Amino acid sequence: MFYRTAGQFKSSYEADHALFPVRQDAILLGVILVFAFIVFPVTASEFTFRALLIPVLIYSLAALGLNILTGYAGQLSLGTGAFMGVGAYACYKLVSIFPEMNIVVAIAMSGFFSAAIGVLFGLPSLRIKGFYLAIATLAAQFFLVWLFQKWAWLYNYNASGAIQVPNIDMFGITVAGPRATAMTQYYFVLCVVCVITVFAINITRGRIGRMWKAVRDMDIAAELVGINLMHTKLMAFFVSSYVVGIAGALFVFMWRGAAEANLFDIPLSFRVLFIAIIGGLGSILGNFLGAILIVALPVIIGSVPQAFGIPVDSAMVEHLNIMIIGALIIAFLIIEPHGLARFWAMIREKFILWPFPH
Amino acid sequence: MKRMLKTAILSSALMMGVGLTGPAIAQDESVYIPNLAYRTGPFAATGTPLMNGQRDYITLLNERDGGLNGVKLEYDECETGYNTEKGVECYEKTKARAVVTQPWSTGITLQVLPKSNVDKIPILAPGYGFSPMADGKVFQWAYNPPSSYWDGASMILKNISDGNLDSLKDKKIAFLHLDHPFGKEPLPLLEVLAEKHGFELVPIPVGLTEMQNQSAQWLQIRRERPDFVVMWGWGAMNAGAITEAVKTKYPMDQFVGVWWSGHDGDLKLVGEQGKGYRSISWSVPNSESPLMADIKQYVVDAGKSQINQSEGEFDSVFYQRGLMISVILVEGIKAAQDEFDVRSPSPEQLRWGLENIKLDEARLKELGAEGMLVPFSTSCSDHTGHGGGWMLEWDGAKFVKASELLTPDRAEIEPLETEKAKEYSEANAPWPINEECEM
Repeated sequence: MFYRTAGQFKSSYEADHALFPVRQDAILLGVILVFAFIVFPVTASEFTFRALLIPVLIYSLAALGLNILTGYAGQLSLGTGAFMGVGAYACYKLVSIFPEMNIVVAIAMSGFFSAAIGVLFGLPSLRIKGFYLAIATLAAQFFLVWLFQKWAWLYNYNASGAIQVPNIDMFGITVAGPRATAMTQYYFVLCVVCVITVFAINITRGRIGRMWKAVRDMDIAAELVGINLMHTKLMAFFVSSYVVGIAGALFVFMWRGAAEANLFDIPLSFRVLFIAIIGGLGSILGNFLGAILIVALPVIIGSVPQAFGIPVDSAMVEHLNIMIIGALIIAFLIIEPHGLARFWAMIREKFILWPFPH
Repeated sequence: MKRMLKTAILSSALMMGVGLTGPAIAQDESVYIPNLAYRTGPFAATGTPLMNGQRDYITLLNERDGGLNGVKLEYDECETGYNTEKGVECYEKTKARAVVTQPWSTGITLQVLPKSNVDKIPILAPGYGFSPMADGKVFQWAYNPPSSYWDGASMILKNISDGNLDSLKDKKIAFLHLDHPFGKEPLPLLEVLAEKHGFELVPIPVGLTEMQNQSAQWLQIRRERPDFVVMWGWGAMNAGAITEAVKTKYPMDQFVGVWWSGHDGDLKLVGEQGKGYRSISWSVPNSESPLMADIKQYVVDAGKSQINQSEGEFDSVFYQRGLMISVILVEGIKAAQDEFDVRSPSPEQLRWGLENIKLDEARLKELGAEGMLVPFSTSCSDHTGHGGGWMLEWDGAKFVKASELLTPDRAEIEPLETEKAKEYSEANAPWPINEECEM
């Protein structure tokens, strides 16, 4: 009924290749964007911005970067946290060396640093695959976090070993640092995430994305049809690490405000990997759904007892929270092992056919 | 449609969650004191007794005196698990009504500190946080009474050198620390002192992942044969270090820790073999004091406490230190109430209150806590008070006071504090400096 595709005729190849072959998809996305750009900012409190909206967007972006590598190009990586760290430290150094640099430029440039490091640690992927590659990227994880701790130049010889975001203005508005308002930071992150998502949708739909998928599905066959494996794999590492690096820079500059090296340790990598897996590997939408489940849901569940005035200890809430989220993750994976994105795709199929099941 | 519905449900859930977590309870007749506690996670063992102590002192005031000057104190915990991400979430959640932030982790303090000038909520970090916070003109909203980490480092050196740091010349001191902002805190001061007094400083970092297995670090200690090991450890690291020290037969009387490394539970693991281990402390447990008798009567025996009585938590250093932390906070609230003649002070008023804490011996005696906390007072330029501390020594079964009151060598520390505070404010410009303070 709502998703009736009858009557939507495609009369040209362009129309058939359009981003939204079904008109309702475009409407739905429009509604979500209206929510994201207008409804949420108008209604949200500072807590909502800082504990829900901004982290969900940033984690989605990081998962998106990882998904390009793992979901589209089939190269398993456990180094996402460290690559986020490279982006964050690069951005910090850029901002402290060139204080007059526009923050957008600094964030965009910091992505290149993590992309370069990503390509470097992607080199083993030319020889090894699967779990073995995961172990190689794990080396990146340990090495880079160690480097963040030991190389004092990275954190400007700060006694505590942490990086601290200064106040940064852009066109007269403070966008980063303690004086920035949550709403400005939200819009900043939202715009960056939108731009990169559009870029990611198009790159994964196009020639490059098809090359990645070919390598993922069977690299020997891909080589036989004339795809340069080295080029393709390293490009996947480059693009993925670039996006992850930007997510890392946003992570510290638009949300946390300060970071120590341990922040980028392996739990962060796992968290992003779980978002990508639970959301759905090889999907763009999945990253956002996964981030909502992993990042936002615990916060929402955590505030339920208080909202209803149920007297529960905060430690108890935390224990319950871990149990509920764990059970949900298992439940979702049993219902649909291919992730939430596939789950939604199935629902959508049903809607298209509804009310006639055949 | 389904997704729209989902979005709608989700967004309404968000609004509900957010709308109701705000100021829902009447504000006028209570003072809301949130605590970013951690009773879960890798540091829960050391966190829990501290949080219990903080909670029980507030309960005592509410039960025995009906609050503070007739106003109920509303103590609330928000669980962080020592995780900075959760810490920020808790800060945002509680700040609408909070009169104070108790961040309970150097990592969370670092994140909240720059926001303090904007949100105008004082940060109370007793015995932790950033040592230059002592400079009250720069850090107008942050307090770390009664002693900072640099004070602690200075007092430890003073004690092991019998008051004359020059006697440490050509000696070797290993600095075993958590590789984390907390553990690195005293390094700048120790480096300066090492250079000045000619002792050799060997920093030995312990990564967060290797806290429980420190064989590599202790191998290094065995090889270096330092004259003293000074430890800046927390959580599982303390137990790991103490058991390794016993295993490698390092002389315990040459092993000294900061106040967070003096947890009864860690030493009970080694018992007699840990005899002689010392830890500097600005609080001393005294279960015989009138205050503790009241706590026992009104809180513990009334079943209102969460402490684990069978484990002897009541007598432990950390539980009673938790009580002292609440004593400091309540003194600040009381000062604000008296000065501004209000029942429930605002965060700005509490800021004044914390700046004017006078916990001298007479006042501590009045509270029934004589000798349990170092006497100190704060001012607008001095947010630490620098009350000093005592050495506590493990006698095989419990910690006992093993020294007279030690005081930090302020002449050495102050220039460094001013310098680092200035560095911080410049890195975070525009940073307001309290010009009105003329001390």
